[in-house]
Amino acid sequence: MSGPQSIPADAAPIWMFPALVAPAILSLAAAIFLGVADIPLGDVAAVLTGGGAAEARLIILDIRLPRIATGILAGIHFSLAGYLLQTITRNPLADPSLMGVSQGATLSVTIFLLFTVYILEPGSNTLAELPVAWLPAAGLAGGLLAGGVIYLLAFRLGLSALRITLCGVAVGAVLHAVAIGLIAGWGSARIEIILEWLSGSLYARSWDHAVFLLPFTIAGLGMLPVIYRPLMLLQFDVPVARSFGLAYRWQFSVVLIVSCVLAASAVGAVGPVVFVGIIVPHLARLLAGRNFMLSLALTIVLGAVTVTLGDLAGRLLGQAEEIPIGVVTAVFGAPLLLALLRKTM
Amino acid sequence: MSPRQSHLAIGLVVVAAILAVMLGLLVGAKTLSVETALRVLLAPDGKIESVLVWTLRLPRSLAAVAGGAGLAVSGYILQTLTRNPLADPGITGVTSGAVAPIVCCFVFVPWLSPAFYPFVGLAGGLAAASLTFWVSRGGQGRPLQLALGGVSVSLFLSAITTYVLLLTGPQSASLLFWLAGGFQGRTWSHLFYMLPWTIVGVIGALALRRVIGMFMLSDHAAAGMGLQLGLWKPLILILAVIPVAGVAPVAGPVAFVGLAAPHIARLLRPRGTGFEIGLSVGLGALIVTVADIFARSIALPRELPVGIITALIGGPVFIYLVQRGQLNLAGEAR
Repeated sequence: MSGPQSIPADAAPIWMFPALVAPAILSLAAAIFLGVADIPLGDVAAVLTGGGAAEARLIILDIRLPRIATGILAGIHFSLAGYLLQTITRNPLADPSLMGVSQGATLSVTIFLLFTVYILEPGSNTLAELPVAWLPAAGLAGGLLAGGVIYLLAFRLGLSALRITLCGVAVGAVLHAVAIGLIAGWGSARIEIILEWLSGSLYARSWDHAVFLLPFTIAGLGMLPVIYRPLMLLQFDVPVARSFGLAYRWQFSVVLIVSCVLAASAVGAVGPVVFVGIIVPHLARLLAGRNFMLSLALTIVLGAVTVTLGDLAGRLLGQAEEIPIGVVTAVFGAPLLLALLRKTM
Repeated sequence: MSPRQSHLAIGLVVVAAILAVMLGLLVGAKTLSVETALRVLLAPDGKIESVLVWTLRLPRSLAAVAGGAGLAVSGYILQTLTRNPLADPGITGVTSGAVAPIVCCFVFVPWLSPAFYPFVGLAGGLAAASLTFWVSRGGQGRPLQLALGGVSVSLFLSAITTYVLLLTGPQSASLLFWLAGGFQGRTWSHLFYMLPWTIVGVIGALALRRVIGMFMLSDHAAAGMGLQLGLWKPLILILAVIPVAGVAPVAGPVAFVGLAAPHIARLLRPRGTGFEIGLSVGLGALIVTVADIFARSIALPRELPVGIITALIGGPVFIYLVQRGQLNLAGEAR
């Protein structure tokens, strides 16, 4: 498998990073200023500086900003998780959504939504008390469980990257089938909510979601200095990495866990957003060349930008019936991914 | 296995499948005794048991037989054509390729007669298969490439399908049940509607068993034996998609049967491609029939979709195959 090591050596301009921060800020500004509701620039500025009309304040502070914040964090989670997974499996196209983590989170959220319906049904007819705030936690738990299964399989399979990936694909397919089966069998009134979540959406995400994600983002980013050296070594073949002093099994486990936690928490908060974790790290490596630190940094920035812009596109294109970010990334990501698959393997 | 033993094995599987169909007549929300089932089967009398057997359980069980046979033959052809033991209609994206456009037709072109759905499914399945094959260089690349290519195609299509379901609103419940894969409420008309596609797939595979067998060799060797690859590859690929195009509109995606049945058949080591195909088809029918019986009896009074059961059986088979390392894992060491 031609992994990250097969990247052209000469393309490593460090100025790439500042050059990308500008578009990142621009996309952030665009996401704040643009939307279905037309708010003049002056009013937006007024809101951001603490004034403005009540309606504009509501739209910007309670709808757009939390949504953008959740999107940025989720984007970082997805892209970083993909980057880590790609590095340790030495497979440039590995991704949590290809390997069962997303499907595990999906299954547990599905069970959670169905189960709470049953808890509430006998006593009261209202389903409004459904504790939706627990959704991210449920997603996190399921994603981690699926990650754990893949983790155990990985060791049984002798840490072979190919086998881990293939088993992840199978685990994902089984979990997905079970989730769809449960929705079909027990879904009834909850189908639309589950579908909405299943399509991977930032619709109606509140500050709660961003606050839920933040500790995991901090923990994930905080682990980077710790796993930086092992990650760099994991780019090499196992014997080479070992000769540089890599404790393969141990370091492999740590990176895999960080990756699963990032991916599972993000799926819990916004649903399965596919392809971001594959495409973004690939793009980052393409831009950064052999500069490992730069490619890592670019992955983080580009992940945030991709999800922010994708969500903005979905909001603007769909108007009232907005297009979920998961659909936007699938439509744009799939052709790119297929082209990459053909080219790189 | 000598040819004689192979005949015997196929005979046993067929007998088992017939027994499974019979069992399927007994099991359900109302359990029938063997005598009752046989009596109404031989002499339908219009009473409740008779209606139960003749209009609900028999067509449903037979649809499961036909569906399983179709998926198995498709899986067999795909595995041989790509020389990739992990290929099956689900992994290569054929199933989602067939399912997604049918959902779109159902939602956006509701006046389109369901009789066209297999054709829609055929076109979609072929498009998806071609894409996966293009990505993995005719399926002859590494197993990983085929699997990732197929899963990417499937992820893309399922994102579209979910979105369409989201737009559909209340109608989506029935679509979802179909999407989970299953045979609940399938009637004689469903069966007859699927049957031609399955038959074409099975008969076609048996008739072309020599050509299909040649694909087990390398492209070079097959060409050396006088096989016109440019002609036969696309034809055999179409043959692999045809049964799925029949099964998908009726039963939705039923995962992993196309993967597991041919592998179990090969484990028995029958002699010759024809026997392998026959055994795969029989095992596919048997697996889906049994899965269907489970699906409607373990969670009474509710029904589980068959897709759950086959996934729970097939997933571990897949992992076992990967773990046993009996794959042609070319390039793994790199």
